[in-house]
Amino acid sequence: MLNIARRPSAHLRWTTTLLICRPYSAPPSNGNIPPWRPSNVLDEWVQREAHPISLRQLTFFGRTLNESRLLSSANYVRLELPTRIAHRLRNMQTLPYSALTNEHISHVYEAYYRAFETFRKVPEEHLTVIPRLAMGILEIQDSVSGDECDRFMNTLLRSRISRRVIAEQHLALNETFHSPWHFDGKKSAVAPEDEFVGEIFLKCNAKEIVEKCARRANELTRKAYGPTVSLPKIVLQGHLDTTFPYIPSHLEYILGELLRNSIQSVVEQRGSAEPPPIEVLICEAAQHVIIRVSDQGGGIDREILPYLWSFAKGPRRMKRLKNLGQVPRLAATMQDLQLPPSHPDSTAGSGEKFGSSLASLSGRPPDLRLGIGLPMSRIYAEYWAGSLELHSLEGYGCDAFLQISRLGNKNEVLSTRATMDAV
Amino acid sequence: MLSLRAVARHNGFPLPRPPLSRQSTRHIQTATVTDSDIARLASQPLHPLTLADLCKHGHPPLSKQALFNSANFTLSLLPARLAHRIQSLRSLPYIVVANPNVHKIHGNYVHSLSTLLPYAERRIETLQDEIAFTAVMADLVHTHSNTISILARGFLEARKYITAREVTRFLDEHLRARIGTRLIAEQHLALHFSSRPHHDLHSSSSPSSSSASSPSSSSSQQHNRDAEESSYIGVIDTALKPANIIRNCEAMVGEICELKYGVRPTIKMVGETETTIAHIPMHLEYILTELLKNSFRATIEAGMEREAIEITIAPAPASGEAQTKTLKNKTEQMARDDHVGVISNYDQGSVDYASGSNKPDQAASGNIRALAESTPGVTIRIRDRGGGISPENLKNLWEYGFTTFNEEEINEKTSSSAGGGGGGMDAVMAGGGGPGGGSSLAGLGYGLPLGRAYAEYFGGGIAVQSLWGWGTDVYLSLRGVGRV
Repeated sequence: MLNIARRPSAHLRWTTTLLICRPYSAPPSNGNIPPWRPSNVLDEWVQREAHPISLRQLTFFGRTLNESRLLSSANYVRLELPTRIAHRLRNMQTLPYSALTNEHISHVYEAYYRAFETFRKVPEEHLTVIPRLAMGILEIQDSVSGDECDRFMNTLLRSRISRRVIAEQHLALNETFHSPWHFDGKKSAVAPEDEFVGEIFLKCNAKEIVEKCARRANELTRKAYGPTVSLPKIVLQGHLDTTFPYIPSHLEYILGELLRNSIQSVVEQRGSAEPPPIEVLICEAAQHVIIRVSDQGGGIDREILPYLWSFAKGPRRMKRLKNLGQVPRLAATMQDLQLPPSHPDSTAGSGEKFGSSLASLSGRPPDLRLGIGLPMSRIYAEYWAGSLELHSLEGYGCDAFLQISRLGNKNEVLSTRATMDAV
Repeated sequence: MLSLRAVARHNGFPLPRPPLSRQSTRHIQTATVTDSDIARLASQPLHPLTLADLCKHGHPPLSKQALFNSANFTLSLLPARLAHRIQSLRSLPYIVVANPNVHKIHGNYVHSLSTLLPYAERRIETLQDEIAFTAVMADLVHTHSNTISILARGFLEARKYITAREVTRFLDEHLRARIGTRLIAEQHLALHFSSRPHHDLHSSSSPSSSSASSPSSSSSQQHNRDAEESSYIGVIDTALKPANIIRNCEAMVGEICELKYGVRPTIKMVGETETTIAHIPMHLEYILTELLKNSFRATIEAGMEREAIEITIAPAPASGEAQTKTLKNKTEQMARDDHVGVISNYDQGSVDYASGSNKPDQAASGNIRALAESTPGVTIRIRDRGGGISPENLKNLWEYGFTTFNEEEINEKTSSSAGGGGGGMDAVMAGGGGPGGGSSLAGLGYGLPLGRAYAEYFGGGIAVQSLWGWGTDVYLSLRGVGRV
């Protein structure tokens, strides 16, 4: 029995080589025939060159560590590991067949292959898990109810966020701890890293983040609709000095999505010379901060309103599916287009050190409507016991309300065993 | 507020007040209501009221036949509804119904049913019958005009014996049903008074018609009124301009504030202020008054009376045929999924969920008569800087009887007579007496839940978003009552 489909996303290419795979010698002692895997993926990695590094480089690197170097380092690791493993795999594959039918060697081969899959998938997983899940949901809509799909997605995504937060936080803290300028117990006011505790930026300033997201959203809109499009002004009001502890990438994603939606709807619905401004209100109370984004973009169509917060979409399903399918390709190009860390709007500059799938999604062109921005943003907002609400004035505009707990003492919202088992 | 008398007056028929009520009490036939009557009627499924029902008899002035149809239609609906209310009241704890106020309301319903029983098995086919029936309707409307304030007082007095949650659950159902029942009665009355055949008859037969003009001038008056008032179909104004209602409410609530607090907040209207929709002025006035009361009070108490309260009027476009079909299907599915009383921003197909039909499936499939064309509506957003609603209060926002007025004021309310002393609001609003029973409601905590009941009645809703530390945004969405 040929065991070919090991990876769920594998494209199966059945070729005539099937016949060649029948064993011609006595079956191996464990009765197993080594699996045949299409080797095209491995080929790609085998063709890459390994980039060896020297001890001198390693030392120098660590001594003058800064953001951009850290990022390079991470990327280096990310690419280097699978490359090297691929080379070893190819070595093993070209050994005589009888070697691999030996159970021990076969075992090692399997282990290496698993490792290769793991490391190779880091970039893929990194960037395409979410769109793939979303596509899957849309595709199974006929057989699984919308509610169940949403529950499943919510559980999965919440858990994913939590794993990343925990892991990345640890890595960040670990790194801070081992950094040359970290002295136990001694606080240096100079190092910007002090405002960060791992991934968490203690002094998220709503105003700055809104302005940054606005700039980015405007750039993307200009790219999509042409440089002559008149963009609505984004007017900030309220308690502009408010700060609170948060993970910047989360906040940037949510605000980015909200602002993009607003800008897009204004440009598309009104499309005139003087688009009405988008008003952003920042309101702080003792326990929370509320950010209201208010636009005059015509509101939300009645036909899609019921599906606004769901991953299971309604009338525009097919279009969404098609758009989602383009994201993996998009992700690949984003690697090249990523802004250099010195750019003020680069995601690397805000203390978020490990790059994220969020950033690539945020960087998608505006006309690629995925239909997951709002439900995703809500999951992120609710993750730290916040909330995201939307009110539509049909024919006029929309108000979005993002509430963030300010004290940082709220536990992450996870799907517990109880909620998962409940009907 | 457009009361019954106002409608009559609009149509050129000034109703002298006392004679009518005295007349009707004298001349109205009653029959004893037995328990088996109630049981029998309550077992009938309730007809879910649709907007088309209210308008199907035609544009006034109605012909004789159309008027009879309206009367018979009303007759087919009301007894069952009243019986359901009686049963619902009887299922409350004994000690609560024993409270004099609650008991009075129970008695009122039984009385009203007794006036309808003589018409059981009968159809109205003559003008005399129709006039007598109309008198019954007038009596019903009059009897129950203070139900809410009396019930409120009763529940307040009996609060030791019943939980807030039970009260809310009962009142939600009861008051929503009441909206429908009252609407049916008032609609027939309004149609009656705006129809020609009666003017000749009334002006000649009414004994106190010294103030009534001669038939010819009254009919010419009627003709003029017709031209002006042609946007009305009974209690529905097909050309209702929300901006006007808002201005009226602002004036009224502003006066109360000046009296009580010495300052008066202002409003600023933006959006499409010339928008009109087809809706019921009484309802809209009630809702807006309550919302403005909340906003004004919060604004003043936060010291922000210089900041105008921003009111945005946003007309919703009517959707096309294809979308209407999708909406219809969705509506039916929603009804099956038991989404009762849920605020939603989209058209629920103008269905009276409040009637709580015994056979919801039947209602969902057969009786839903969504309009052929989805009707345009309007969303009104009220933004104030009154500091918002605290997170603790937010939980209780939609409870009947939850109020941020303190205990002393509540005691004042329970001991004072309807429309009498109490706070400043009471005194000024003594003349009110609209659908909510106006004056004595101030501070009793009924404004929001009742307002929402009215808004949701024809597929609209109210949503409240609090920005604690800044202000509150309230979204009132109204689905127009239809194209006729």
